[in-house]
Amino acid sequence: MIYIHQIASVSPQRELLVASMDEVNESANNVLKVVEPKYEGIPLSVLRRMGKAVRMGVGGALPLIHHLAFPLNGIVIGTANGGMEDCIKFLNQVIEFEEGTLTPTNFVQSTPNAIASQLSMLSANQGYNITHVNRGLAFENALLDVWMLLKENSNHTYLLGGVEEISSYNYSIDYLADWFKKEETSNKVMYDSQTEGTLSGEGSAMFIVNAIPSNAVAKIDALKLMHTSDAAEIAKQLKYFLKEHLAEGETVDLLLSGENGDIRSRHFFEAAEGLLNNSSVARFKHLTGDFATASALALNLACQLIQTNALPAHMIKIDHMKEVKKILIYNQHKLVQHSFILVSKP
Amino acid sequence: MANEELKHTLKEQIIKYLNLLEKTPADIKDDQVLFGEELGLDSIDSVELIVLLEREYGIKIKDPKEGRKVLVDVNTMAEYIVENRTR
Repeated sequence: MIYIHQIASVSPQRELLVASMDEVNESANNVLKVVEPKYEGIPLSVLRRMGKAVRMGVGGALPLIHHLAFPLNGIVIGTANGGMEDCIKFLNQVIEFEEGTLTPTNFVQSTPNAIASQLSMLSANQGYNITHVNRGLAFENALLDVWMLLKENSNHTYLLGGVEEISSYNYSIDYLADWFKKEETSNKVMYDSQTEGTLSGEGSAMFIVNAIPSNAVAKIDALKLMHTSDAAEIAKQLKYFLKEHLAEGETVDLLLSGENGDIRSRHFFEAAEGLLNNSSVARFKHLTGDFATASALALNLACQLIQTNALPAHMIKIDHMKEVKKILIYNQHKLVQHSFILVSKP
Repeated sequence: MANEELKHTLKEQIIKYLNLLEKTPADIKDDQVLFGEELGLDSIDSVELIVLLEREYGIKIKDPKEGRKVLVDVNTMAEYIVENRTR
């Protein structure tokens, strides 16, 4: 069991848990770009070299590290692509300047582990430092890693995070592969869409986690990662998952669904909703857009919903007016990578 | 003496290559030491400046000792460009 003590995020919304639809920032050209805050604690000489993914990751996490109530034993980040924009800039230079003298900055910032390593250097943390890059399950694998670390070291504390940036290169590839909508679609009506593809998003979510229950904001009861294209398999696995992790008579109050407006993925979410017919259902991708580590922002939202018990109307799909004490996050990426994260009030 | 137009262009290029977002050419004096506290440049920036000279002016600096003499301030860089540029 993992206890979450502090959370932070950088997202396309000024505050991720937006109270009303009127306050939700609208997508432009089917893209939801982050609203970057004024980053505190990063020296200007370091900040000016950072690409967006590194800024979002480091800038999101540093305030948590600086106000830490526990010594930090490690940094575990999940990101499918890391600083892809800088990576492509560097590779283009290799071609443009015929493998001549190349600038080091784009290269240094372009590797996915630049986020965790910059955090390590800026906070002088010499503990465990790793980046998981398992595409749509990168954040879940980071979470699984922390889970195993805490099983071995129950007195340790870790920084856990998920980060993704929109790079023009990746957007173009995914657009051509039909992962993003062809017609202009607002995030405010994306769930009504009857076409293929979703809206692109980006963001970072950071968590201070350990195995200590006192003063925790939320706890993670269980996690499951799956690869399948079969909705019946999802329903089967969800049935086992709930049977294994819910006590007798216990129910899920809220299904936080990663529904993304892609008509091809709707049946997965309907399969999950069918098994949780007494649970309220809320959606979050109109706030974040879709990206490989969007479940990190879903976990941030789950923590906030558990803390506040105030579910905004624009997120609700089905409302059973329940107090939010136990949340199941179900997300999928590109129709094959799926995850369940069970979060509850500590 | 290198001309003012070249120095102004060079300052714009320094800002672009080093991503000195908060600076304008007016903020960089001709005789301001580049690797001092004011601009806050470091060793990675020196490599960026060497790349700038090569890409923009066709100048290759291979000897580190030569680089140390050239990358002092905007004046020394501009003078070196005037004497050695190939484009």
